[in-house]
Amino acid sequence: MQDEQPLSEQESLDLIARMINKAKCDYEDTAISALMWGGVITVCSIVAFIGVKLNMPALDNIWYLTIAAVFVQVIISVREKRRKRFSGYTDSAVGGIWISFGIGIFLLSYYANKFHVPAANSVFLILYGIPTFATGFATRFTPMTIGGLACWVMAIAAMYTTWPYDILYGAAGAQLAWFIPGLILRRKYQKAKKGNV
Amino acid sequence: MFKELDPILHSQLRLAVMSLLISVKEAEFTFIKEKTNATAGNLSVQVQKLKEAGYIEVVKEFKDNYPNTTCRITQAGIKAFEEYVKALQEYLKVGQSKQ
Repeated sequence: MQDEQPLSEQESLDLIARMINKAKCDYEDTAISALMWGGVITVCSIVAFIGVKLNMPALDNIWYLTIAAVFVQVIISVREKRRKRFSGYTDSAVGGIWISFGIGIFLLSYYANKFHVPAANSVFLILYGIPTFATGFATRFTPMTIGGLACWVMAIAAMYTTWPYDILYGAAGAQLAWFIPGLILRRKYQKAKKGNV
Repeated sequence: MFKELDPILHSQLRLAVMSLLISVKEAEFTFIKEKTNATAGNLSVQVQKLKEAGYIEVVKEFKDNYPNTTCRITQAGIKAFEEYVKALQEYLKVGQSKQ
């Protein structure tokens, strides 16, 4: 692009629109985190359910997989931050929402284990919905907004479902809130990456 | 009476840089270079002009042991950009009504 080329008014407006669009189309979200958490929570919920049905309490230890996922998440976040060449206005707000969610879910897990909270899966699903809906709303990514709403619908459904079947709503919530939106986002990212080559 | 178009913004590369920076919170020099297809030398000169006008902030730091330049639009830059777009729209409106 040259600097001193004379621009007509229409050319100026076209250039502005083109550059804004270029920035918008540069999807830098790899969606790895959404896919990983969608997968991990789904696997943990299903294995925990099987454990109850087959009377194998040891299978409940599958939830320790989430602790391993936290370490993987830290590595992913550091790598993505290094790779990122621009940041949007919503990035830090969305980051703050997910950090507070992480702390909240950790405290809630401890609380639910200590006091044996009834219908704990509903409470977890209500919490899953908050950052998911907020992220979808802030970034105007409709699949995630719908995913957040789906978590709350699942939370209501789980309240009226007997244990251990309510565990399966956790798996469904993780799929709708993170895994499916993650797949859509990943496709967009790969499409944008191909376009940039 | 027409508002005169801001000469700092009414240039292809500077306008492209400002249009990119208005859409993001901050962007690295390499990102802007890639999106505008400009040469590093030319872009540096135009970025410096925008900085001198107070329209952008330029931060130079080290990232993974390499020098890294990040640009961010200022409040004055946002105001100037909005006024520039408004002026452009006025020009175009008059042009269309004359036809």
